[in-house]
Amino acid sequence: MKVLSKQEVISFQNFSYSYPTKRNVLIDINLKVYKGEVLGIIGPNGAGKSTFCKSLNGLVPHFYGGTVKGNVTVAGMDTLEHTVAELSTKVGIVFQEPENQLSGLALTVEEEVGFGLSMLGFSRELIKERVKEAIEKVGLKGLERRSPFELSGGQQQRLAIATVLAMKPEVMVLDEPVALLDPIGKYEVFSVLKELIKEGSTIIIAEHEIEELAYLTDRILFLKEGKIISLDNSRNVLSEISKLREAGIDPPSITELTYELEKELGIKFDQYPIKLSEAVKLYSEVLKIK
Amino acid sequence: MSSIGTSLLRRSVIIKETLIHKADPRTKFFFFLWISIWAYIFYDYVLTAIFLIGIIILAIIGKILKRILLSVAVTVLPWMAFGVPILSVLFPWNSTLMYKIEIFGWQIPFYYEGFAWGLTWPLRIGVCITSALLFYLTTNPANLIALLFKLKLPFRFIYAFAAAVQLIPLLVDEAGTIYQAQLSRGLRTDVGIIKRIWNFLILIIPLTLSSLTKVQIRAIALESRGFSAPVIKTCPYDIRFKSIDYAFFIGIIMATLIMIYIYIVYGFSPIVHLKQYLISG
Repeated sequence: MKVLSKQEVISFQNFSYSYPTKRNVLIDINLKVYKGEVLGIIGPNGAGKSTFCKSLNGLVPHFYGGTVKGNVTVAGMDTLEHTVAELSTKVGIVFQEPENQLSGLALTVEEEVGFGLSMLGFSRELIKERVKEAIEKVGLKGLERRSPFELSGGQQQRLAIATVLAMKPEVMVLDEPVALLDPIGKYEVFSVLKELIKEGSTIIIAEHEIEELAYLTDRILFLKEGKIISLDNSRNVLSEISKLREAGIDPPSITELTYELEKELGIKFDQYPIKLSEAVKLYSEVLKIK
Repeated sequence: MSSIGTSLLRRSVIIKETLIHKADPRTKFFFFLWISIWAYIFYDYVLTAIFLIGIIILAIIGKILKRILLSVAVTVLPWMAFGVPILSVLFPWNSTLMYKIEIFGWQIPFYYEGFAWGLTWPLRIGVCITSALLFYLTTNPANLIALLFKLKLPFRFIYAFAAAVQLIPLLVDEAGTIYQAQLSRGLRTDVGIIKRIWNFLILIIPLTLSSLTKVQIRAIALESRGFSAPVIKTCPYDIRFKSIDYAFFIGIIMATLIMIYIYIVYGFSPIVHLKQYLISG
């Protein structure tokens, strides 16, 4: 198991938020995220996952308005006291729809990746260097001169990740990044994420693909109706089968199967598997005993 | 994204290494304003056609001839095809008879004033559209945005401009998607022209709502990437006047002097000698 750093990057303190048109979207959120940690966010529709993500770079409340209680600090910056533009080098967000997050103003992949940096007034030399690095990281090398609109969904989402990586943010936030992608696109995006995790990036990922979260995350935040239901290491949260079901979330299949078998066969497992390899190991042992 | 939407955005700017592409966006924008104003000052279809030919020559140099000709074919020619025959007969200020045509035993008179008006106005519109396209199609939008910031234009204006650039392909794309959705729910297409127009009208509400949502998402994406940061933006390419721009401006000054001379000596209709009508401007 990964040993988490003690360096605090994100801190939510008694944070509550209401949109101008919808009240209590997030209620009394308290949590800390540490450098290099990968935090997954799960919850049914309307749980506040996207709002949580948008509160990290100040879109909530600067862009949407609404009322806020408490505060959010990212890399030492209070999001209420800094603009979204100022926070853009600290927090990079990747949204659900790959196409709609393209600037629409860049003609080529490399221009798109450098767009944010040029809006922040970085030097051309630095932009060139960062663009090259980001494109290589997401595996889009060779497509630099291609129009962003000619890319597949998976490639566009990797491009969106590159645009964020180029800004070298301290935290990367992904709001259901594969929800609209086909299986190949999902695979491509998750492969990039795994690489970033290996490099020690701090990542927040809101996701419906709960099975994938088991492989990616260190901890999982389970939200429902704007409140924290659970915040613990991934195994513990994903093993709360009845809580997940109650909220309308499908637990990982192997975890659910183990839970059902435990009930059916009356065997007590020390812990539920959340990854395929763990399930294989566990069932092999059970079958050997039998 | 549907093919039309994709192509609109993807091909909105044609990347080439030509003199027109190398020219500063300010030069091209000034040319658009300059030639459009002259096209309206003179009421002379031959002179306006010469302006249009001039733009087409620049389009050849800029290797965007196809797109320019297409826009001429879509904007100028249909208006001429409708306007010239109708106005030649029905223009209120018609007085100079050119010829008569016999149709079903009726003698239909064709007049010069309506004929000239029907030719001049589409040509004027053509000059405006093609010169604007010459600017738009050969200027990188990211460069343009950086230039607008450099010119210290109000932030809201720049944001509106950026949204407008994004909105056109979004609208086209959304219209396609919604229309297909309506078709799959039984919208009939084998109907008359009125019903077809109605079919398009019922797209407006879902189209507007969905496009607004998408524009908002794009605005969020732009904002998240520092669009509003109060710093001097970095232009992806060099934005400064080069020798081509100075040469262009010298040409514009010379042409302006010649046209002022023509206007003073020969009037607003130096070649075809039209009378000025109130309605013609």
